[in-house]
Amino acid sequence: MDRNQITKWLKAPAKMANKYSLHAVYFCTGCGIIEVPPVITSRWDAERFGVVPVATPRQANLFLITGYVSVKTLRAIIRTYEQMPEPKYTVGFGSCPVNGGMYWDSYNTIKHLDKYIPIDGWIAGCMPRPEAIFIAVTHLWTLIDKDMANAYIRYRKNYKSYRRNQELALGKLEWPPLFPVGDESQGNEQ
Amino acid sequence: MRIVEIIVSPLLALVVGIFFLGLARKIMARIHWRYGPPLVQPLIDMIRLFYQKGVSHGRMFDLGIILSLAGSIVVVLFLPFGQMCPLSSSGGLLVILYMMLLAPLGLALSGGQGGNPNISIGISRKLILSLGYEAPLLLVLLAVMTRYKTISIVEVVNAQQSTSWSIISFPLFLSGLSYFLILPAILGIRPFDVSSAPQEISSGPMAEYGGKYLALAKIEHAFVLFISIALFVNLFLGGAANIVSFFMKMLAVFVLGLCVNAVFPRFRTEQAVKYLWKWPTLLAFVGLIITIAIRS
Repeated sequence: MDRNQITKWLKAPAKMANKYSLHAVYFCTGCGIIEVPPVITSRWDAERFGVVPVATPRQANLFLITGYVSVKTLRAIIRTYEQMPEPKYTVGFGSCPVNGGMYWDSYNTIKHLDKYIPIDGWIAGCMPRPEAIFIAVTHLWTLIDKDMANAYIRYRKNYKSYRRNQELALGKLEWPPLFPVGDESQGNEQ
Repeated sequence: MRIVEIIVSPLLALVVGIFFLGLARKIMARIHWRYGPPLVQPLIDMIRLFYQKGVSHGRMFDLGIILSLAGSIVVVLFLPFGQMCPLSSSGGLLVILYMMLLAPLGLALSGGQGGNPNISIGISRKLILSLGYEAPLLLVLLAVMTRYKTISIVEVVNAQQSTSWSIISFPLFLSGLSYFLILPAILGIRPFDVSSAPQEISSGPMAEYGGKYLALAKIEHAFVLFISIALFVNLFLGGAANIVSFFMKMLAVFVLGLCVNAVFPRFRTEQAVKYLWKWPTLLAFVGLIITIAIRS
């Protein structure tokens, strides 16, 4: 650890600890699963940056969505994201979550992931190299430093529109809203 | 003086336990030819977890983890390390044996309210595993108590310091070997990490812990790490005259255990129990028989 980091640690321990302990849930929907194992094992060793894969979303604070997102997996992605404790960061990996990629015309995939859950950053490419994950992590550090990795706050603030988009894509959702939404949903519950 | 020791010794155990957790990750990384995280990484994780929001699943969920943490802290008070022995004159091996049960029991109670099926599987595996290692552990402790004709750990340590370590004395080296063989099972590290297998049952009893609950669970794990290694050092490596040499002995035992952890895959539950009831139990039993025969 650098010596000039000590003052940062004393000033904002939560921010620094969030930076250097990113426990990740990898949601490998289609492609992208090949890029993750070299990153977390001996070849590129993500653990030296504090990035460790964990088994459940409860323990995690980084959500990495790799590859295309079909309508069916979107349901699981939303539930996983809502189970993660705040503060939480999301990164979309590959060009398919960004804008549909080569699945633009597909009847079965969603095109823009950030309509349904908020995203802190994107890694574009089809597929990106495993090193791109490290670039994403260092960019995420900068964002956390500047208080710009605020996707979870956006989710809380604009939950109503996110929920409406989710319902448009998936039909009726079988889980209750995570945050209180306006009058219409309360009307539905009664 | 005693009050100071009572306050200081759990803190010392916590610091050493967390240091061991960090060292474990570093050494594992070096064995895998990786660079590895910084040594303070578990501390960073804990700070992060305490600042994160945790989701509670009910009152027992909160109380169970506190119960297991309290049980571990009490066991630390009954362990002599170096010249420090806060409460060990008033309790003995039997107290430790009872109190060591509180840690898995608290986790089981807490996880029971989590409602996740992975937790139930993890807890049942943990209890089966503890059934596996409790039998040889009891035989080992009986052998030690028979050999030194006492149930007090302090007297066991003193007797070893006047003669020689019990791991190199004749009948007890069998018991010591047996304890070392079941040590990974007590610690829950590979090849005995059946209960917390992240790849099979999403880290088992920990599956619903997040935020400060997970931080408390990690602290509890650090305490369990400290307790089971300190018990080995006290019973078989002759304790120590001062704290520094005590911790050096603990470090040696821990690194040996880590080398086993780094290279072995995981047992299935029934394989683990079969192993535990075969070789360590056999060694401990033979050790106990010889100890009784020599004594009479």
